[in-house]
Amino acid sequence: MLPDQTPSVYAGGANVIAVLILLLEFGMFRQALLRDQVRLYAGQSGLLAALAVLVGAVRDLPGLYVLAAVTAALKVVAIPLVLRRLLRGADPADVPATGADIAGSGGLGLASTVLIAIVVAAFGFFAAGALPISASAAPVTALSVSVSVVLVAFVLMIQRRDVASQAIGLFSLENGVSLAALVVAASLPLILEVALTFDLLLAVVVFGLLIRMHHGRTESLSTADMTSLRG
Amino acid sequence: MSVLLPVPVVQVLQVVTIAGAAPAVSGLIARLEARLQGRRGPRVLQPYYDLAKLFRKEALAPDGASWVFLAAPIAAFTCYLTVPLLIPVLTTYGLPLGYMGDILGGGFILSLASFLVAVAALETGSPYAQLGASRAKTFAAITEPVILFVVFTVSLLTGTDLPYALAATVRSSAGQIIRPAHVLAAAALFMVILYETARIPVETHTGTNEFGMIEEARPFEHSGPYFALLRWGSAAKQLILYTILINVFVAPWGLASTQQAGSVLLAMIALPAKACLLGVVIAVIDNSFAKLRLFKITEFASAAFLLAVLGVFTLYLGGG
Repeated sequence: MLPDQTPSVYAGGANVIAVLILLLEFGMFRQALLRDQVRLYAGQSGLLAALAVLVGAVRDLPGLYVLAAVTAALKVVAIPLVLRRLLRGADPADVPATGADIAGSGGLGLASTVLIAIVVAAFGFFAAGALPISASAAPVTALSVSVSVVLVAFVLMIQRRDVASQAIGLFSLENGVSLAALVVAASLPLILEVALTFDLLLAVVVFGLLIRMHHGRTESLSTADMTSLRG
Repeated sequence: MSVLLPVPVVQVLQVVTIAGAAPAVSGLIARLEARLQGRRGPRVLQPYYDLAKLFRKEALAPDGASWVFLAAPIAAFTCYLTVPLLIPVLTTYGLPLGYMGDILGGGFILSLASFLVAVAALETGSPYAQLGASRAKTFAAITEPVILFVVFTVSLLTGTDLPYALAATVRSSAGQIIRPAHVLAAAALFMVILYETARIPVETHTGTNEFGMIEEARPFEHSGPYFALLRWGSAAKQLILYTILINVFVAPWGLASTQQAGSVLLAMIALPAKACLLGVVIAVIDNSFAKLRLFKITEFASAAFLLAVLGVFTLYLGGG
């Protein structure tokens, strides 16, 4: 920690975008509607694309523009569209009867959850900060933030007891991993990055179908009924 | 104009600016809110007329209330007029009394004032004023950690926690403004200010009988000049908090860097103008959000805490 060491405008901007991604992850704790949850995920992916453009422009890596375009097309447009298409009728906004499914699915109060998530995020921050990684493309702080995003996504998936939030938690976890990849290995071969992103699309379809089946069987997005399956 | 003002005069002008412009800023926000809701709204200068009217009225005290009840508004108002001496209101350079206390010192004086008002509210025996005082103290305890973490951020950034030093650091380069720690601390402070000035996500600013009232319920039993002092004091507190946000965190430009009368005068105009711009933002927020339920205020505070804590975290990892 060096108080008088001012980061460059580029590093500051990249860090702010990374922190915003983390803040949107925290925002997912309080969303009550599937539609808003998906919208938040789209916003988070949009920020990721913006960060890719910024890193690409400053570090002169034209491959990142393509990655940003693919990210924007898939995660901001396609995946939310697929999710909404698959879950049509399952959103409490459409069916008032199931309105409590997502809204009250938290196992803990919001304030306590945020405090727990802050502790978990702190662990991620300092654990990653202790690693002797020197990132060439993006500032190291963004790497720590990405570890926090992954851990906070875990908290989201553990704490919310509805399939929709758990699926979105998993997808946003992937956003955290992409953020880390952007920081540590910005010059990763483009084909790998794109393949990973399409992998995600497959996961989205599988999860969408699972959620749809679950909703069709139990008429609810809550996972509370699944406990009766225990032996 | 090359008339040099002596330092004590500049120091007095700081207090005069805050006390003089505070009702106008409140009036502008009230007017703007009314316009946004399609009402005509009160005049911008209405708070001054209110104060003048209240100062002419007779003062009453509830039966059994001791001298504390009447002394508290005066003492609280004194506290509010002391804080402008500690923060950069008009000048970029620290005035002699500016080093009496740091940000925490200013915060202590503000909480002392709020404590005195709460004690006076307890003196009345009125359940409503007491409820307001109790709520104000409860939620103040929740927002306190946020303020502490904002101060930590400031002291990590500058190596000191004098408000003048942070303002100078912010002016020094663009990299300082955009770094996440600074952005997060400013956002957290803004949320605390929304709470402290009783604005919308926390409390309805206008309105006289509402169950969710916190700050505004406390002066219920005061009347006449004492009530006027409390009203004026809360307007001054609002402008003080805006000044801290604007002149220390967000836009420390337009301050006088010399003792020349012209530049000091310019700063005296620039501060209320910037505060009015912030007031526009506040009025828009007031009209676009619903008031939180009383027990949801902890969630608001936890969001502010999150921002402030993340600010400190990013700093610890080397220059975030």
